[in-house]
This record gives sequence, C-alpha cells and structure tokens, in this order.
Amino acid sequence: MSAITHMPTSIAPPATAPRRRFPLIIVLLLVPMAVVNLAAFVLPVLRLGQISFLESRSGGVLTDVYTFGNYLDFFTDSFNFGLVINSLWISFTVTVATLICAYPIALFLHRVSPVWRNTLFVITVSPLLVSSVVRTYGWMVLLGDQGLINGSLLSMGLISEPVRLINNTLGVFIGLVEILIPYMALALIAGFGKLDQSLEEAAASLGANAFTRFRRIVFPLTLPGVALGCLLCFVLAISSFITPKLLGGGRVFLLATEIFDQAIIQLEWPRAAATSVIVLIIFGFALAVYSRVVRRFD
Amino acid sequence: MQTLASREDARPIAIPQAEPQPDAAFLRLRGLTKRYESGFIAVDNLDLDLPKGKLLGLLGPSGCGKTTTLRMIAGLASVTDGEILIGGDDVARRAPHKRDIGLVFQSYALFPHMTVAENIAFGLDMRGVSRQEARARVEEALEMVRLPGYGSRKPKEMSGGQQQRVALARALVIRPRILLLDEPLSNLDAKLRDDMRIEIREIQKRLSITTVFVTHDQVEALTMCDVVGVMAGGRLAQLGTPSEIYEKPASLFVAEFVGRANVIDCEIVGRDQARIGDQVYRSDTKGLSGGKAKAAIRPHRISLTPDRDRALVSNATNSARGRIARITYIGDIVQYEVEINGAMLKVEVPTASAGHGFGADDMLLCEWKPQDMLVFGS
Ligand SMILES: Nc1ncnc2c1ncn2[C@@H]1O[C@H](COP(=O)(O)OP(=O)(O)O)[C@@H](O)[C@H]1O
Ligand SMILES: [Mg+2]
Repeated sequence: MSAITHMPTSIAPPATAPRRRFPLIIVLLLVPMAVVNLAAFVLPVLRLGQISFLESRSGGVLTDVYTFGNYLDFFTDSFNFGLVINSLWISFTVTVATLICAYPIALFLHRVSPVWRNTLFVITVSPLLVSSVVRTYGWMVLLGDQGLINGSLLSMGLISEPVRLINNTLGVFIGLVEILIPYMALALIAGFGKLDQSLEEAAASLGANAFTRFRRIVFPLTLPGVALGCLLCFVLAISSFITPKLLGGGRVFLLATEIFDQAIIQLEWPRAAATSVIVLIIFGFALAVYSRVVRRFD
Repeated sequence: MQTLASREDARPIAIPQAEPQPDAAFLRLRGLTKRYESGFIAVDNLDLDLPKGKLLGLLGPSGCGKTTTLRMIAGLASVTDGEILIGGDDVARRAPHKRDIGLVFQSYALFPHMTVAENIAFGLDMRGVSRQEARARVEEALEMVRLPGYGSRKPKEMSGGQQQRVALARALVIRPRILLLDEPLSNLDAKLRDDMRIEIREIQKRLSITTVFVTHDQVEALTMCDVVGVMAGGRLAQLGTPSEIYEKPASLFVAEFVGRANVIDCEIVGRDQARIGDQVYRSDTKGLSGGKAKAAIRPHRISLTPDRDRALVSNATNSARGRIARITYIGDIVQYEVEINGAMLKVEVPTASAGHGFGADDMLLCEWKPQDMLVFGS
C-alpha cells in the first residue's frame, strides 16, 4: 500500500503526464475495424483517385503517365453535363418522393402502441430481405407493356395502347422509390426520438389545430430524421445502377450507369475513376448540406 | 392576494351572501365515464362541482384514474359517457384546441426546439395576439413565475424547477378558463416542492383561476386545495374541504389514504358503541348499530399516560390498558406500538413531549376521544 502511494513521487514522468484520453482497451477494440476500413475502403479510394489521373492506352491498359485529361474530357463533353444534371435531378425527386411515402409510415410506427410496433416495423423493413435486383425484375413484370398494369388497363378498355411505364425515367423513378422506402423509414424512425406525444398535446391545449401542430411541432422535431433519411436515400439513389439499368432499358443515362459502362464495357478505367471521383464530390456536398441542417437544429 | 384576503376579513359578518352565489359551479362533471378500448373502466360515473376560482385537488393512489379524468377535461382523452360543463357549456365532445384550457404536464412538455419566450408565446400566437402585445404578456408571465430575463434560453438550459415554472407561465399566459395540473411537483426534489407548492397556490389565488390539481401526495392536497376529491378505482370516494376529508373521512379507504390510521377489527354493539376484544368503547359509528366493523384511530390522536391500574370508559374519553411492544424514534415524533386487548395500536407523540420515560414492556394507558374513533361497517 505505502509503496503504491509513494510511486508518483519517485517516478515523476507518469505522475505529471496528462491522463490518456482513451483507455488502452478502447483503442485496442477500435483497431480491427480501423484496419479493415483502411484496407477495404481508404486504400481503394486513394487508388481510385490515383487511377483517375492516369493515362490509358487503347484496350484499357494503364500507363504510369499522370494527366488531367480524364477530368478535362469529362468537363468538355456536354453529354457528361447532362449526365450530372440528370443524376442529380432523379436522385433529388426520388428522395423527395421517398420521403413523402415513408414519412406517414414512420410517424404511424412512432405513435402506434408498443404491442403492434415491432410487428409493423418488421413488415416495413421486410422488403430488404429480398434483393433489389429481384424487386427490380418484379417491377419489370408489373410495369412492362404487357405487364400487369398495362394488361389490366388495356383489358378494361381504359387505354387503347400501352402506357410507357418502363424503359424510361418514370420506370427508374418508380423502382428506386420503392427500393429506398424501407431505408428512409428506418432513418426517419431513428431520428424521431425528440417527438413526444405530450408535446403535441401541449400544443393542442394551447389552441393549435392538427395542421398547426404538424407544422410547428411535429415536423421541426422530426427534422433530424428527415435530414438523415434524405442524405441516405440521395446517396443510395445517385449510386444505384442496377435498377436504372434494368428499368431504364438503356435509355436512361446516369452517372452510376456511365461509370459501369466505362469500367466494364469500354474498359476505360481512368475515365470511370474520374467520374467516380466526381460522384464522391457530390456525396461530399450532400454531407455538408446534411451537417448544416443538423447543426442548425441543435 | 393579501389585499383580497384583508378585504374579505373587513367585510361585515352579517352579509355573507355578498359572495357571488358560492354554489354556482364553474366546472361541472356529470356522470363522466372513461372506458378504454381494452374494456377497462378507468373513470366511473364521476360527478363533481367546482366553484369559480377554487382549487380542486384530485387525490388518489396511482392508477385510480386521476390523469384520465384530467385528460378528458382537457380533451386529450375521449369521453365514453357523461358531460363536462365549463361555465355552462358542455365541452365533452369539443376538440382540445377549442377548449381554452391551460394544461401543465408532469413532464412539463416544453417544446425543445423553441426558446422559453417562444414556448410561452405559442398559445398567444394561436390566438392571433399581436406580436407587440404577445411580447409584453410573455414578459409579464415570466415575471409572474419569477423568471424575468430567461426568455431567450432553451428549455434544456434550465433546471427542473425552472422548466416547471415556464410550463406554468405557458399555460397561464393564454388566460385559460380552467387550469389543469397533473402531478406538477412530482419530478422536483423535496425542498423545491415545498416552495413550488406555495408559489403555485399564490399564483392561483392571485389570478383566481379555477384549477384542478392532480396529485397522489396527501400533503399537497391538504395544504394547497380548497376542495379535495379523493379517488379510488375510478370513482370519487369523497369530496370535501381538506379538514372534512381528514376529520370526517367517508370511508375506511379515505381514512387510511389521507393521513395514517390504526385500523382495528371491532364489533358494533350499539349506537356509538364498538367492542374491541372484551372492552366496549364510545365511538362514532355513523348511525350503525350492529355488525362487524373496522375502527380507525389516528396515531397522534391517542395520548399515553402512566398506568393507573384502571381503564375508564367515560363519556369524554376512552382509555385502554396496554403494553408497549416497540418504540421507534422518527425525529419529530416518537412512535409507540402498544398492544391493547390483542390489537396493536400505533401511537405517535411529539418527541418534545415524549418525556415520560416509557420503555419497552411498560404498562400504560392509551386514551382517545370518542369522536376520534371512526367506525366503518364492513
Ligand atoms: N391508454 C390506456 N389504455 C388502457 N388502460 C389505460 C390507458 N391509460 C391508462 N389506463 C389505465 O387506466 C387506469 C387509470 O390511469 P390513470 O388515469 O393514468 O391513473 P392515475 O393518473 O390516477 O395514476 C390505470 O389502471 C391505467 O392502467
Ligand atoms: Mg397520473
């Protein structure tokens, strides 16, 4: 006992050194994930950045000559400009539509009695159990010219020829919204923590009608969830390529589908890498907007 | 408030009718009933009248339907059956935002995304009060709850007691017809609770606002309220002034719930005569003249004297010989457990006057007045 109490005076440096901010055990627990992230995420992204500045010879062979050419090509081609606008627009409208569809679901789940909440919650996220590729094929069956919807409308005589629901932007939009609703609902529910029934009741007792309660109390308090859900869905929408490829039928051109074509079909890795970096920059902007919204709220 | 009180004092005693019809109830509940979807009847056929400007305390154990009653008055819980009359209009089926009621929640329910001033101004905003007037009234309300200058704070930057006062200011600034408070003090520590009790009562009297105050704390109910309604199992067990509730409990439940009481099995052997063991005592049997019953005697209404070898039952007092089984020191009071005729009687004596030097196993005499022995048929 006395030996321990004397230690700090006899061994000066440890006694005077500032206390370590994180105990060793916490650092050790973080190491495995940090290593995985470094190897599987940080290094590949750095490599991606590097490739985007490399010149390639025909046939996709990478050289070790550095150039700005890939970026110059991207910005001088007006097709790419359309691509960015198209991607941003579709992702934005998909995000808004997903929010409108998922918000009532999330609000209902937040308010429903605990007896039902878990069951309904599982039902809400159950589409995630089916791969988005399968669900996209499902939409092709429903939306195609001979699909369920057109078939029914035709046989009822409501239309004389099929309505184009697929192989266009509308098809991509419908497919993406449906695929992203569970993600949006999850993010919204996670962000609804501050919403308490008694706040709405307090507002009601002070004279606020249902609409005012929603506008002044419910919506502002759910903004963190809305911001999180929108960020998530926007990023997922802009980076999705299977659904746009299948439901767009090769007629809808987006950044993600373009990256796929450049990398896999044209074997132009440096160009694909440059386009990817541009998408990453767009992600960066989305993140900045998100953190501004969240900070303003707190 | 003081001026009001002194004016009343100065009034000639000969004309008490000068009071504007004291029986004209402002809040009336008529057969108010709440059955939840589960079929559970939380409030069962409640009838209650509260005159204007009075403070009613709804007192009862947890789960007896106090909150449900309050929520029905506020319009936050639907009314299964019955009427809620405020100033003569039946509001039972009116939406909560059209009832003009000030409500203070147990959890305060302040809007976390608004400042204190915005919280208080919310109700004024809903009423279309001009910005200028609203600012003045918010300032006035903050002064009333002794929080001037706190308007720009966020609720989370304030202590529990301060949040409580903001909630009170927010409910009162709209000048509601009725103020409802649901266990407003239960989240505060003991000292603050005492202060807030006085403060709420003073504000209530100053504004002379008709108020319903829900609590499970008998001290709050007895000290603050003009009228106390004791609830049990969704019904009103008794309605009366605090002293009526305490001195003349209508049932054994009320006697036990409000203040402490010794409850002893007894038998009624005649009008105002109850037998415990083989001894008959004079008591208040409330007109009953026979049958098994229970007697309630408050511990501090029993006095102890050294044994005189003789137990008397006179018209003025009952007395019983007993043996001290246990002595417990509780600070202000000393509690003796005394065995009389096979029954255990708790007796409380102020520590200051407990200087008899009684010890365990001493024989002594317990004495109590007939009107302090309340007998309830079972
Ligand atoms: N939404 C509800 N559904 C079913 N029963 C309820 C509901 N709310 C309250 N109760 C029941 O009604 C009874 C009275 O509740 P409450 O009014 O909150 O009591 P108190 O405020 O007196 O503690 C309790 O037994 C409670 O379990
Ligand atoms: Mg309650």
